[in-house]
Amino acid sequence: MKKEGEVMIDHRASPGIPADMAEKFGFHPDQVKEGALFEAATMTCWHCGRVVIRNPLRERARPHCYQCNQYICDICDGVRRQPDYVHRPWKAVVDLVQSGKFTMAGTSVNPVLIPRKED
Amino acid sequence: MAKWSFKSAGLTFTAANAGAAIGSASTYMALKGGSTTQVIDLLEVSISGKATASTVAALELARASTLETTPTALAAPHSAGPMHPATAALAAPPVPFVAAATQPTPSNVVTDAKLNLAMNLFGGIYRWNASPTQQWTIVGNTAPGGESVLWNNLLAGGSSGLADAHFEYEPF
Repeated sequence: MKKEGEVMIDHRASPGIPADMAEKFGFHPDQVKEGALFEAATMTCWHCGRVVIRNPLRERARPHCYQCNQYICDICDGVRRQPDYVHRPWKAVVDLVQSGKFTMAGTSVNPVLIPRKED
Repeated sequence: MAKWSFKSAGLTFTAANAGAAIGSASTYMALKGGSTTQVIDLLEVSISGKATASTVAALELARASTLETTPTALAAPHSAGPMHPATAALAAPPVPFVAAATQPTPSNVVTDAKLNLAMNLFGGIYRWNASPTQQWTIVGNTAPGGESVLWNNLLAGGSSGLADAHFEYEPF
């Protein structure tokens, strides 16, 4: 099954994004300049659910969780190296909230699961 | 479950600060879970710029760090409904809105998930599709997982501009 989403940014009929702003947004200026059509794959971090536009120009290795055997984002890669880290994929957080037994606080990278009071 | 579509028409996405409640109604799109246990898979975001002059907007999809209060029911020309006409009514339908008594607060937490949707609203088109298992997920109806907001980030250098947009999503 295909594991990647896709993003399309169409500036073929638009002045596009100026080079200085494009770099602020994380694009190469050529990708979003006037007349450009930018298409790229997106990947979703298995730990926090963040969607990442796959930079075709990236040369660094992308993080991988060998417990999930899935892609994770750079931020979660840093978080998982912290001494108090608990491995809990985003899908597990979703399942716990959906069970009705927990609510989620904190952030998706550092979720805090709070037990719900019985009704 | 069935797929639904939430469409806004003619919104001026006014640039606003992250980490504070958005200042004005009808300047963003937000989608909130219909119950404490509802899961919504956001499958597509599409934006069509309608500005009449060059306008670089720093649009983002972000989680809401503080939820809105009293969302206003959608009214024309905006819409939200199932994409299959035979879809059964949900006991707790998701809550799509563009206005509320107090607007939602887009998260400015560094480690909170965000999706960069920056584009020129003068003729630009942006579309993001998720593949299966790679969707943006909204879970429950409390911050930060229970609500996501499409808005224009002033701190990222966004300028205010007119656009139409839609979300496609699947509630469970």
